[in-house]
Amino acid sequence: MKSRAGSSRRPNAGKASPFWAIAQADLKGLFRSRITYGWLLAAVFIQVVRTLGSASSGTTSSVVSSGLSDFVYVWSLVITALAASSVSSEAGELADSILSKSVTRLDYVLAKFASRMAYTLTCFSIVSAVLVGLALRLEVGDYSAPGLASAVLLVALAMVTLTALGVALSVALPSTVVAIVALLVLWYSMTILFPVVGLGFVSPGSMLGDLPGVIKGAWGGAEWETAGGFLAISAVSLALSSAYFHSKDI
Amino acid sequence: MGQKVVEMNDLTKIFGEKLIAVNNVNFTVEQGAIFGFLGPNGAGKTTTIRLLLGLIRPTAGEVRVFGEEMTPGSSELRGRMGYLPTNPRFPPKMTPITYLDFVGKLFGLGVEERMGRLSALIRSVGLLGDSSREIAGFSTGMVTRLGLAAALINDPELLILDEPTSGLDPSGRRETLELIAKLGKEKTILVSSHILSDIDRICTHVGVISQGKAIFSGSIKDMKKSTRSHVVRLELEGGVERLCGALKAEKWVVSFETRGDFAVDIDFDAETPMADAVKGVTELVSRLGLDLISISSSTSSIEDAFMGLLRDEESRRFLTAA
Repeated sequence: MKSRAGSSRRPNAGKASPFWAIAQADLKGLFRSRITYGWLLAAVFIQVVRTLGSASSGTTSSVVSSGLSDFVYVWSLVITALAASSVSSEAGELADSILSKSVTRLDYVLAKFASRMAYTLTCFSIVSAVLVGLALRLEVGDYSAPGLASAVLLVALAMVTLTALGVALSVALPSTVVAIVALLVLWYSMTILFPVVGLGFVSPGSMLGDLPGVIKGAWGGAEWETAGGFLAISAVSLALSSAYFHSKDI
Repeated sequence: MGQKVVEMNDLTKIFGEKLIAVNNVNFTVEQGAIFGFLGPNGAGKTTTIRLLLGLIRPTAGEVRVFGEEMTPGSSELRGRMGYLPTNPRFPPKMTPITYLDFVGKLFGLGVEERMGRLSALIRSVGLLGDSSREIAGFSTGMVTRLGLAAALINDPELLILDEPTSGLDPSGRRETLELIAKLGKEKTILVSSHILSDIDRICTHVGVISQGKAIFSGSIKDMKKSTRSHVVRLELEGGVERLCGALKAEKWVVSFETRGDFAVDIDFDAETPMADAVKGVTELVSRLGLDLISISSSTSSIEDAFMGLLRDEESRRFLTAA
């Protein structure tokens, strides 16, 4: 019998490569899609129009808060669609193309989380960089640099949470449409209803209300609770969906 | 041969506490074998293969590959296996080059090795001219060929092929079977197929499954022998009626049945050796002055052996139920 080349058993060949291969392929597909170009163009255009329109009367805190709130109320729809379709949309080829190879379930799920979060944060960074850059140049500055950075980071964390919830639902639910609807219900409940039921500290809506103050430099304890809450939700989503995916039949 | 590459021990899979897809199956595939996996639609073949790959967990029993238990986390084991699914689905936006490159990365292959292998494989499966086309536009046969290339990218020791000739035209089918036979000299192969002649042509061993139960496992020769029913088939250029008239007087003939105007199946006494039955038939044909076109033992065909096994299993089930 011919001896094996043994190439798939080279030292350290297995663990890292599948994760990076899946994450890389996913990111390539996302950044090549027309949705990405459309989203970025629209979002940047709106920020430009907003800041130019507020050139004479607006303040940095109000313009930046307003621009960042677009992510919670509007661009969250795009993130929802992309996150909630991350696993369920490739259910048909998952077993044949990926999991039947030298890939663990954890490799796959973590790669999906990583790629979708990297995608969300990259797009968020581009749009918020334009927003903040223009707001700083055109407006009377009622901001502090740490406050501005904190506000951007808080909203970034909210987007990470939205993405994590989306990927988790995509893992748990077999249908992309159902996952998208479930995520929309969950996200808008968090945004609008959570403050009413005493869970305002993890409500993106409440967070947005505090943003002007944060931008001006007023950082209280509540913002730490919010950040911690978002991180906890993201971590729990990741852990539960990984455990579920490991146990399910493909 | 000798070392066990695949062992299924009391393997059982029940879906949703309702459907017993695989029921206490015991199969062994030895190193170097080309093992044919046979069964009617819905018999449990694909479920068994998915258990073998760790895509689903057994409800009871175990499956071992290369001596180790297969689980969803057994990525190292899958690194030594290649898998061609039936009617494979691949990322539609990828091309053969990008897909094989992706699969190579999943197996941890380095850049040079990956590129070398994928170009050789694309050429060998006849996709060189379509290597930069999106998979979404591929025909069934092209997808199957790409799947075969992907199954070989990591130079696996164990190759699992689920309906490998599905969607291929006759020349493609022949080429694929020749390739499998050639690969069988270096690798252990498990082939699941409905096309019994393909299995007969390339496999050394066979396992038969019906309604989730294993009903035979062994060499192809043993399978044909075990279901021999002492039948000789003759094809004649006319004179079938005269032959049938003469057969009535022969003591070693149990029964006979005409197949159309030119063929007769003669069921002979179980005590009579095949050689004597053939001799008796040819002497009869010669005495009657008939023109013999062909003579064969119908149970040497894998189709008859397979159908015989299914019939026997069906009878056993009725008797058990009664």
